[in-house]
Amino acid sequence: MSILLKKFAQTSAKTIILRSNDSQQFLIYSRKLSLVPSLYDGEKDPAPKFFSPDIQALLKRLSRPDLAKVFRKRTSSGLPVLRTPKYKFLTTEELEIEVQQPIHDVLSQDPALIGYDTSKYIFTDISFGVDNEHRIIVERQPDGTLQSCDHDIRKRLNQVYFPIKGRKIREPSMFTDDEKFNSLLDRDQYEFVLDRACIQYEPDEPSSTRHFGPLVFYLTWHQSIDSLMLDLLQFGAVREAVLLIATRQAIHRDISNGDLAQKLAKQKYITANSAMKSQQELALQGFREDYQQLVELSRGLKIAHGKEELADAKNILEESQLWLEMKIGDIDKKLQHCIDQMW
Amino acid sequence: MPLPPASGTGRYFAKAAKSIRLVRHGCTNRPFFHISVTHRKRTTTQPVIEQLGSFDPMPNAFNEKLVALNLERLKYWLGKGAHVTPPVGELLGLSGFFPIHPRSYMTAWRNRQAEELAQQKEAEKASATAS
Repeated sequence: MSILLKKFAQTSAKTIILRSNDSQQFLIYSRKLSLVPSLYDGEKDPAPKFFSPDIQALLKRLSRPDLAKVFRKRTSSGLPVLRTPKYKFLTTEELEIEVQQPIHDVLSQDPALIGYDTSKYIFTDISFGVDNEHRIIVERQPDGTLQSCDHDIRKRLNQVYFPIKGRKIREPSMFTDDEKFNSLLDRDQYEFVLDRACIQYEPDEPSSTRHFGPLVFYLTWHQSIDSLMLDLLQFGAVREAVLLIATRQAIHRDISNGDLAQKLAKQKYITANSAMKSQQELALQGFREDYQQLVELSRGLKIAHGKEELADAKNILEESQLWLEMKIGDIDKKLQHCIDQMW
Repeated sequence: MPLPPASGTGRYFAKAAKSIRLVRHGCTNRPFFHISVTHRKRTTTQPVIEQLGSFDPMPNAFNEKLVALNLERLKYWLGKGAHVTPPVGELLGLSGFFPIHPRSYMTAWRNRQAEELAQQKEAEKASATAS
């Protein structure tokens, strides 16, 4: 009898678990979470759009650095002391990063060396004080050709002779194996993935990522910016919301009167193009209320200071906001550079 | 045991003749060489004056043999009149730093000849079995 009871208990527990699983699945579907990644495999090539200066500028302005997060405490991962970031003035040419072009530089060809060896010889100049980009690395092919090495070999040999902490000579399987990559994403290890990508790849490599900009581009390219828009509006980042619409207009040209995006056309975007209208309208409403409160607060302050020119108060508030935004824009570049230096 | 510093631990005599040579540092069945400058009359087991590079004669997973050369210090010692042994001369020749060593051409030519001979023999064998 007791055995029977036990069995019953086991089976019922199983059904409960199964049921709970079912309900979870149902929940997931009801939230429209799609685990199937969209890929850049359509007939159109995203590269020209992504690297066009307009869109790059938009993406850069869209990735608002959270100062609390940038300067937060984090473990130094075995490093004895974190160096303080250096600030330098750079020209625009120095600041711009171009994507690597393949190296084709034949130094000499000697057919008399055919048959000398079946394997390649790679020569690395390990002289003191030469940086990784300018180090001489050449290869002698089995057919007697002496030529400069391509980027992948250069990177590997630089890592062999001058290792960078945390970078692997072979590409980590989490980037090459889709299964491992997806399992990391399932466990919400986004920060780990992004940090590791920053260490593993050079900024001018095609696989490199600088976190937020490419994400925005990805979402815009696949026309799924609604959640991001909602997030921006809920945080009150209206400037960024407008920029996002401008990005979409620049990529797809599918927003009616999208040229007005610079003139705060988000209301029209939400009524005409969004798939999450109600939430976004709510968020916008909330933002308006916040803004109204801010304006009234500043008014109250002005009155308290003895000035009753209400229009002026609003103007000053807007000016101060503009000034702040400009400051943030300036700091963006410096921050990005300093973050690169730190990692 | 920690490796000696690349600046070397051997005693240095300014007027003694120097030699840039390969010094074997691998273990059994696993050769690995340092390219070092030392006195000509010293053996390869004695401490060197300075290490100038390394050479791994066993191809890696990508079928590459890796050679590291500190060209700056190499130029310095060449300027001091150091003698270069043939194996190092061959490596420097392949790297494009020196003209190609005659022995490299000899090796290449002999390898090609051996390959041709082997091919001829195979062809003869094939014709013999066919007939």
